[in-house]
Amino acid sequence: MSPAETLGAVVISTGVVLSLIAAWGLLSFPTALARMHAAGKPASLGLVLTGFGAGLAAESVPLTVLGAVLAFFMFLTAPISAHMLGRAAYQAGQAPNLHHDDLAGVTLPADVAPRPGERSISGWHLIPLVIIWVVLWRDAGIGVWVGGLLAGLLVELIRRTGRPNGTFRPGAMLVFLVRYSGMIVASNARVAWEVITPGSQIREAIVAVPLRSDSLRVALLVANAITHTPGTLTVELTEDPLVVYVHLLHFKSVESARSDVARLEDLVCHALNEPVPV
Amino acid sequence: MTTFLEVVQVCLGFGAALLLVRAWKGPDLVDRIVALDLVLLMLAGALAAEAARTGSPFFVAAVIVVALIAFAGTILVARFVEWRDVP
Repeated sequence: MSPAETLGAVVISTGVVLSLIAAWGLLSFPTALARMHAAGKPASLGLVLTGFGAGLAAESVPLTVLGAVLAFFMFLTAPISAHMLGRAAYQAGQAPNLHHDDLAGVTLPADVAPRPGERSISGWHLIPLVIIWVVLWRDAGIGVWVGGLLAGLLVELIRRTGRPNGTFRPGAMLVFLVRYSGMIVASNARVAWEVITPGSQIREAIVAVPLRSDSLRVALLVANAITHTPGTLTVELTEDPLVVYVHLLHFKSVESARSDVARLEDLVCHALNEPVPV
Repeated sequence: MTTFLEVVQVCLGFGAALLLVRAWKGPDLVDRIVALDLVLLMLAGALAAEAARTGSPFFVAAVIVVALIAFAGTILVARFVEWRDVP
């Protein structure tokens, strides 16, 4: 076996173990929201590692690219589905035994009105993007068209959330991404440990954390990062003022939860070149 | 390598079976959605292994499509769960 194959086999094994841990956690965790911790974290990282590992093991470039695409896709979508499902579970009354609940009694708006200046996704931008994609691939298979549509939608989504003058600092972004990757690994290790040693110290709570920044893209990235950090999950995000409601698997105190999020917010503000709140 | 990838697929199949138990037990619709979402992610993982095993580019597209369907389906049903009690 070549070194690449060996490495690929190790990476795939890690991915499969994580996937199995996610499955077992979903079966054994006591409440719906706790199960969402098991689902959101190890399962998505498990799939990314399986994809990457398969690319390495087959020594195939398209498959390795697939691993990278999956990683980016999961980074975007895993927190969104965890958030949507967490919110649905809470509203369905599937969150008993909370040690602390800031979301109780909060009336949430039925839907969020678009902010002034927010742009919608337009087909006139999408069509040329898809055509460019297909031309660059020099292939008009159905997969290429689907891929082009996805890439185009992604570009449109990013354009929609970013302010026209939105910038970021590459150095600070790198720091954020490195810390962020560390958090993803730590959160997976922690959830995995929780699954393997059952009946341990799960103390669930929902804490409201007011954000000090008023920028929507900071809020978005913070909410996303919270879901990827150990033992926390964003359940709800309200505007005016911006408040994130965080579900914690290991609740210690409201203050420690808030200071954790504040540290994250500082990192994100640095990375996105927004004024750091004091 | 081929044997290893087959073992990987069997393991993922076993994981999917565990998830189906959760989908069967519920208790709420939300639990079933999460379980079925993860079944699709396991399927995507198994397809990635299949791509490595056969070297066919068809499975690369299949992995992306399955992962996308898992995401879109989850969002859609979560939206429905939120609104099901609203007349």
